[in-house]
Amino acid sequence: MAKTDRKKTDGIKQNDMLDDRALQAFFDAARDDTITPSDALMTAILDDAAAEQPQPAMSAVAPPPDLALATARDLRRARGVWADLKAMIGGWPALAGMATATLAGVWIGFSAPIQLEQWSGGLILSGDYTTTEATFALEDMAPSYLGTGLLMEDEG
Amino acid sequence: MALDAYSDASDDALLVLYGNGDPMAAELLTRRLAPRVLGFAARLLGGDRAEAEDVTQEAMLRLWKIAPDWRSGEAKVTTWLFRVVTNLCTDRLRKRRTVDIDLIDDPADQAPGAVETLIQADRAAALQAALMGLPDRQRIAVTLRHIEGETNPDIAQIMQISVEAVESLTARGKKALAAALAGKREELGYGED
Repeated sequence: MAKTDRKKTDGIKQNDMLDDRALQAFFDAARDDTITPSDALMTAILDDAAAEQPQPAMSAVAPPPDLALATARDLRRARGVWADLKAMIGGWPALAGMATATLAGVWIGFSAPIQLEQWSGGLILSGDYTTTEATFALEDMAPSYLGTGLLMEDEG
Repeated sequence: MALDAYSDASDDALLVLYGNGDPMAAELLTRRLAPRVLGFAARLLGGDRAEAEDVTQEAMLRLWKIAPDWRSGEAKVTTWLFRVVTNLCTDRLRKRRTVDIDLIDDPADQAPGAVETLIQADRAAALQAALMGLPDRQRIAVTLRHIEGETNPDIAQIMQISVEAVESLTARGKKALAAALAGKREELGYGED
């Protein structure tokens, strides 16, 4: 149609084409003429998204079996070195036993050289203190911190 | 509420979140992008809604697949998507090479009154018919520039051509549209002022 008009005369050439303003109105109308995706399309897209989505490292959803080991490893790492050590030893009861044994060791270390000498028949230790005592009072069995045991001996 | 917290995030950021396994990101991206992709596909395909929906689902599926490898900041998500849609639509148009414009609704037939909304719809339909008369590349360039509002550099990326080629295509396309739509000015509410 436009070509035919143009052939007739150049005088009406401006009527053969829309100006920019008029053409812009068509573009504006097209821009406003939006299409809303159907619910079925939105659901299909979201289903695809769920199927394709990489699994997060710490998922709220139960991981598949092959991921279970990795997740457990991650959890152990997050729990910390001390917790791992405690678990390796056997928990709080085992730690309590170890603490008791440690304190007993300290007590024996402070209080029992003479006793030890007596039990060993004088083979392990030697020196003056091995001959000063042949019998033991009750305080000899208690820890002799800061030499209180010796002070008591002197006074007695 | 969680979606509100993401509403200010860029498409780029949301795609990275999706790639990191965030379950909310996909929903927000779909709400944002699917209508635009569908509209663009429908325009390129001459208003065929069913085919445009197929293209939209396929384009979004490709987006989900590329998400783990997406390099943030390198390209706009919409630019990437429009390029995918352009390629998908071009393939489909090639297969149905001959487009029968008579099959597109004639705006004059569906305008019983001078109601403004109907006129607007008629203008959109007339433009769509005229767009379908353009060569594919002109139609893509004009649609991206004047309806989708993309910039010439972005269109150059989408169509994988130079900015100068984009300018040339849009100029020729607009000229052809102006000529094709000139005869519609009376029935679509334009005087010959």
